[in-house]
Amino acid sequence: MRAKYLLGLAVILGALGYLIFGGLGQNLVYFLTPSEYLQDQARYQNRPVRLGGLVKQGTVQYDKDRLELRFVLTDGVAEVPVLHKGTPPGMFKEGQGVVVEGRFQDGVFQGTNLLVKHSETYQAPKAGWTPEEVRKLIEEAK
Amino acid sequence: MTPALLGHLGVSLALAFSLLGLALALLAYGQGDGRFLQGARRLVLPAFLAALAAFLALEWALLTHDFSLAYVARNHSLQDPLWVTLVTPWAALEGSILLWGLLQTLYTLLASRRGLDPWRASLVLAVLFGVQAFFFGVMATIASPFATLPNPPQDGVGPNPLLQNHWMMAVHPVLMYLGFVGLSVPFAYAIAAMATRRYQTWVEETRWWTLVAWGFLTAGKVAGMWWSYEVLGWGGYWAWDPVENASFVPWLLATAFLHTALVQKTRGAFKAWNFAFITLAFAATVLGTFLTRSGVIQSVHAFAEGPVGPAFLGFFLLATSLGLGLLSRVSREVRDVVFFHPFSREGALLLGAFFFAGWALVVVLGTFYPLLVEAFAGAKVSVGAPFFNQLSAPIGAGILLLMGVGPLLPWRRPRAEVFRNLYLLLGVLLLGTLGGLLWGYTVGASLAVGLFLYNVAAILLLVREGVLARVAAGLSPWGFLENQRRVGSLVVHFAVALMGLAIAFSQTYRLESEKTLYRGQSWEVAGLRLTFQGVRALDEGRRFAVEALVQTNRFGEVRPRLHFYPQMNAPLPAPKVVYTPGNDYYFLLMDFDREKGEWASLRLIVTPLVFWMWVAGGLMALGTLYILWPVSRREEARGVSPA
Repeated sequence: MRAKYLLGLAVILGALGYLIFGGLGQNLVYFLTPSEYLQDQARYQNRPVRLGGLVKQGTVQYDKDRLELRFVLTDGVAEVPVLHKGTPPGMFKEGQGVVVEGRFQDGVFQGTNLLVKHSETYQAPKAGWTPEEVRKLIEEAK
Repeated sequence: MTPALLGHLGVSLALAFSLLGLALALLAYGQGDGRFLQGARRLVLPAFLAALAAFLALEWALLTHDFSLAYVARNHSLQDPLWVTLVTPWAALEGSILLWGLLQTLYTLLASRRGLDPWRASLVLAVLFGVQAFFFGVMATIASPFATLPNPPQDGVGPNPLLQNHWMMAVHPVLMYLGFVGLSVPFAYAIAAMATRRYQTWVEETRWWTLVAWGFLTAGKVAGMWWSYEVLGWGGYWAWDPVENASFVPWLLATAFLHTALVQKTRGAFKAWNFAFITLAFAATVLGTFLTRSGVIQSVHAFAEGPVGPAFLGFFLLATSLGLGLLSRVSREVRDVVFFHPFSREGALLLGAFFFAGWALVVVLGTFYPLLVEAFAGAKVSVGAPFFNQLSAPIGAGILLLMGVGPLLPWRRPRAEVFRNLYLLLGVLLLGTLGGLLWGYTVGASLAVGLFLYNVAAILLLVREGVLARVAAGLSPWGFLENQRRVGSLVVHFAVALMGLAIAFSQTYRLESEKTLYRGQSWEVAGLRLTFQGVRALDEGRRFAVEALVQTNRFGEVRPRLHFYPQMNAPLPAPKVVYTPGNDYYFLLMDFDREKGEWASLRLIVTPLVFWMWVAGGLMALGTLYILWPVSRREEARGVSPA
């Protein structure tokens, strides 16, 4: 009788282990700021990540005929150029906190999904913020 | 009398009646005294009336624009149309808990009418009163719908515009709550069964409740998918979003319970599984609320911000440990001694239940994993949809496979003639899959075609079997329709197979295209010819709408819109969806020339078979209704088969 329970437990633990290390590990999408990305570039090559930061002032270029949106994402220290195919979301503007889902290719972050972070308590970031402060702002906005 | 006063009074009285009822019911159980039980029973109706008064007080406050209530000020505006005002009670947390509490008192009222032996009756009532007391306790302390403001505003902001953008939002939450609350009744019976050591009859006595809860959960989920598809503007119906997952898990566990309960009813087996599944299904409804309402999804650090999260987490732990604790105490007595072959009806039902429970485990794991990583490793991660999809596809295929063969297998052990049917079904599955591959579909889509045809064939075999048995006995073949459980479950199973097919195709073949068009310009895409004829602005009072006029060669003029709500900085898309039996055409206005209306960016998403998802959802609800449809006493007395 005890052997049966142990076997059942082993099957469940085995399945959980497979799920976590096999399935989940492959499909985890990391949330990063540009500085975190630049510290460990090789790790994030060609796998999907969510990149959070602020749209740098004066860098937004949108071509409505080719539906290409280019801008620079910054966390106050590091910067990453972003290319997003598609129309900018309604709230998108310079200085705004955004999260871009996509992957790095040839030094440019190719966004597939662009989310603008906004909430009732949103406060605009100030000049001279550290990456940690920017990250906290983005994370806590809904 | 003001709405706030009536509301506070209603909530306090409902809490007081529930606590008193809980105490009397426990006394009745402890003392074995029927008078206490009588007393507890008498409190059921007053508790319901008090809850109803509180709910009506909230409606009253909304209808009379009483902005002195914080809930009204935050979720209502003078401009709201009447239907939006009437559904605003469940637009935010406090009102939703009130609706949940009201429905709980209603179900307690209905459940208390059943005559049970006094020991079990008192425990059933105690559990239901306890659940009720939790909800009204939360409302009386940390999440009051009737909190007042010292300086009421002249006008409020109205409910979240996403909720007022589609009428489905009036229906979806109510259906979900009717389903969640419905699971509390079998849970209460299960607790009473374990405590009084009468393990057998409770599943049959709560069959009606389980089916009602399952039917509402199913309808609620499909309604939510429909809302997501038509309102959120991304052209999908399922995103493995934590909120969706939170209500999917109770559905999965309730489905597992529904199937193992059938075995206990027929063969007296799987008692322990039934206790475990109903406990987990009920607990999952509470866990879902904790997950979606506490803010842990944004960040584990948000957990401590509101008291509602810890309250629901505590209640979840209490319900789980009560159910599983009792189960471990009686586990020796509910062990299965009944023999069954793995290749029998029981075997298929148990394996199917494992698939559903395993699926629930996968969803829970994927939903909570980011919280664990954040808590222990400090990294912020999310689990991508590919994880859920990769695991759900084989589990779903396994379920579809079992669903076809299961009902054809006899109880106890397989018989020789069964194998003839099995070879036939296997042939249909192989031919269907091969046919799909030859037609040029992907492996997954071809398998979905095979599994759909296989299930249709299995259902036809079952109908044939039932009809032939009646003809052989000299009865009318139409008598088969009177076997409500069989016919209803076949309708539901057909709908599930249809939904499997629709999901496989809509996930595999999806065409998405976007283009900026100038006035008069045409766009050839997906076999359509679209001509952009300009934009038009409409002032609709509570919102401002911009619609693009797009002439199509197949559907006439379509007008996808953008809605601008004063309380939102960004416009909300209102897609125009044209359903056809083959493909869905989903038109979105993404952007437009704000100065002269000379250009607009349009997006077209073409998804196959989405229409059939909603048909399947309707069929599932109808099938459940068919099983539940009351047979009149006279017909029951005549027996199943009229001569």
